[in-house]
Amino acid sequence: MLLEFRKDDLVRHLGLLDLQRTMQRALRRSGLPIAYSNGFNPHIVMSFASALSSGIPGDAELLDVSLKEEVSAETCLEAMNRVLPPSLPVTRVRVVDDRFPKVSAALRQAQYAITLTGSDAKKIADAVPIFLGETEIMALRKTKRQETMVNIRPMLHELTADYDEASDVCRLTARVSFVEAATLKPDLLMEALANYAGAELPRCEIRRTKLLGLVDDKPVPLFDL
Amino acid sequence: MLSKKIDALLDRVQKPARYMGGEMNCVLKDPASVAIRYAFAFPDVYEVGMSHLGSRILYDIINKRDDALCERVFMPWVDMADLMRAEDVPLFSIETRSPVGGFDMLGITLQYEMSYTNILEILDLAHIPLHSEDRTWDDPIVIAGGPCAFNPEPLYHFIDAFSIGDGEISTLETIDVVKQCKQEGVSRKECLRRLAKLRGVYVPSLYEASYNEDGTLKAFEPIEEGVPRTVVKNMVADLDHAEYPESIIVPFMEIVHDRINIEVLRGCTRGCRFCQAGMIYRPVRERSMERILDLAKKLVDETGYEEITLSSLSTGDYSCLPQLAHELMERFAEKRVALSLPSLRLDSELKETLEETQKVKKTSLTYAMEAGTQRLRDVINKGITEEDLMSSVSDAFAGGWSSIKLYFMFGLPTETYEDLDGIADLASKVVRKYFETPKNIRARGLRVNCSASCFVPKPFTPFQWEPQDTIEEFTEKQKHLCRVMRIKGVEFNWHEPHVSFLEAVFARGDRRVADVLEQAWKLGCRFDGWTDQFSFDNWMKAFELCGVDPAFYANRRREKDELLPWAFIDAGVTQQYLWRERERAVAAQTTPDCRKGCQGCGLKRFEGACEGR
Repeated sequence: MLLEFRKDDLVRHLGLLDLQRTMQRALRRSGLPIAYSNGFNPHIVMSFASALSSGIPGDAELLDVSLKEEVSAETCLEAMNRVLPPSLPVTRVRVVDDRFPKVSAALRQAQYAITLTGSDAKKIADAVPIFLGETEIMALRKTKRQETMVNIRPMLHELTADYDEASDVCRLTARVSFVEAATLKPDLLMEALANYAGAELPRCEIRRTKLLGLVDDKPVPLFDL
Repeated sequence: MLSKKIDALLDRVQKPARYMGGEMNCVLKDPASVAIRYAFAFPDVYEVGMSHLGSRILYDIINKRDDALCERVFMPWVDMADLMRAEDVPLFSIETRSPVGGFDMLGITLQYEMSYTNILEILDLAHIPLHSEDRTWDDPIVIAGGPCAFNPEPLYHFIDAFSIGDGEISTLETIDVVKQCKQEGVSRKECLRRLAKLRGVYVPSLYEASYNEDGTLKAFEPIEEGVPRTVVKNMVADLDHAEYPESIIVPFMEIVHDRINIEVLRGCTRGCRFCQAGMIYRPVRERSMERILDLAKKLVDETGYEEITLSSLSTGDYSCLPQLAHELMERFAEKRVALSLPSLRLDSELKETLEETQKVKKTSLTYAMEAGTQRLRDVINKGITEEDLMSSVSDAFAGGWSSIKLYFMFGLPTETYEDLDGIADLASKVVRKYFETPKNIRARGLRVNCSASCFVPKPFTPFQWEPQDTIEEFTEKQKHLCRVMRIKGVEFNWHEPHVSFLEAVFARGDRRVADVLEQAWKLGCRFDGWTDQFSFDNWMKAFELCGVDPAFYANRRREKDELLPWAFIDAGVTQQYLWRERERAVAAQTTPDCRKGCQGCGLKRFEGACEGR
């Protein structure tokens, strides 16, 4: 079963473990014929297409769940939404066989909606077209182990900015690479963009809107693959 | 607006899930549809408060009323509390993020003395005046209950009314009174007067204490006609018909006791002389097996939890425990629900049940031995022998367990260094038992976890007259224990005596320690139960500034005829019974479990108590 769900603003602070526990308990309450792993400590067979960081909400996150018997998509959707809190609704369900590779293996890109409010929002919005004209943009990527300078430009596939003067808000949409070797995190992108624009990064709200695979080099939502 | 402000803070604090709300099964009601909005506060962080069974029971009971709603309040951790002050965000409820100061009633549960400074912090963060006399109808009626309410005096200045004993009925009665008073438009003072007439309710502003020259209590009297001289505790006689939640909130974040908790019985008849809970929660009342099984099914269906705990002061004493455990295992095997049985009593027939339990999960076994020698265990009336322990661990090792926890106290009345050596002796014998178990059947990785805490004499126990060891005495004993506890396979932990010393002061304190509490809070004390937040120096400074000697409360022996600050409360057990037990303790005489014959503790005076016995 492939479940697409939303992680609302209210519960954006849930980390992966919290989300895992919540989904497991919801599955147990749902009455669906869930499958347990074999072994000493049996657990529900399920996996997320991608872990969404604590603090970031998501519009279309994916959960892959194994069931013992086949159940219709409608039944599953209805059963899950009966037991999930309103801030974590399942939006779509698709019956998929337990094929290999898993859906998550097809993940290539992610799309984010980013809202910048106040101070240098306009300056940043204005810089986007020139920023996109560059072929190389170096940024400092920090991981737990090391800090490395990387060219992030090839990992950025789409970036649009929409500035609203009345509210002094800049709304950006960014589509970026999301594969093990090359993942561009939205906060790093924003830092680099603000840096490029010579601006102070204002308050920044990030939301993941899509998880994408590629079909003939064109982005397609993972759920529809 | 407030909600947005709070939301912005959540990006800046540790564990924001503590303040998030919106969990499965939390109750959201329209505030316009009810007469009474009740905020229920647990004076510690979310993950601790959410683990407390009593709060969940009361949350459920209040929300079952059509004319009332209950929302949860927890103590924000220090980072959040500081941010809230800086950003002018008042303390808020979890459900609707409403300011706590705007509720009609604020209930606070008193589970341990070291949460008292947090109560002041909660009042302050909620912008509620600290002192009862400064409050108006714009503030909630502040009610406190729980085990520590059996000596309410250290909090007399901050709480409008205390609810003493079982809260199921009392909570509803206090809501009725406050609702009625608000509708009639009577004064707040009149409302408190009416509350004081309810059984089990103590309104401190309607009483006055005076003191002798030596500092002991001289008199304690009501200051108005019609205010009861004695406050009699509340008691739910029939647990089967008492309300119990059939649906509980499932937190997103991991909490301390993250599982279904079913109270199988209330009270304990063993009569351990150090144990306050065993005295104040009398008599023993059992929930029927039928009701427990019914609750278990409903709660598993409603929560999706993967574990059930059967809780009580002494679950091993539940009359049909093996049968119940077996039944639960059977019914929930398919759903992979594990069963854990805390406070296992060694002398209960649980072998078979244990065999069942391990089919699902193997956890460590806990034995509360409390004292190292038989003599001292007789003094405290802990009816466990060395043979009981040895036969039980021997079975456990043969059954594949390898992790054992042993709990002890030190500083018990009449204790000698021989008794301390007894602790080491028992631990070594457990280790030996493990190595005597054939290699092919015992599990690998022996772990004997031995911990010793400092004894704190509590009100309404036979040791309520006893002095606590001084910090110096505790430290000496602790050093000795560390020396003798160097045993291979044994890990030894002890508790710092400083916190226990303060606990002893507030457990048996009178009205004069209320000032110390306020002073300590002003000096920055909060979360005193958390080692990283506790500041003994600030506390000592507070005592000094108030001119109060903590040793007077912690380390002084009380005479038999001294008027004790909590003597105006009828807790069920009589002072005569407690003194009788004290005399037997000193003579190292045991008293049998009252199920085997009435010991005349006083509970028979209560209607419906001790039925069929």
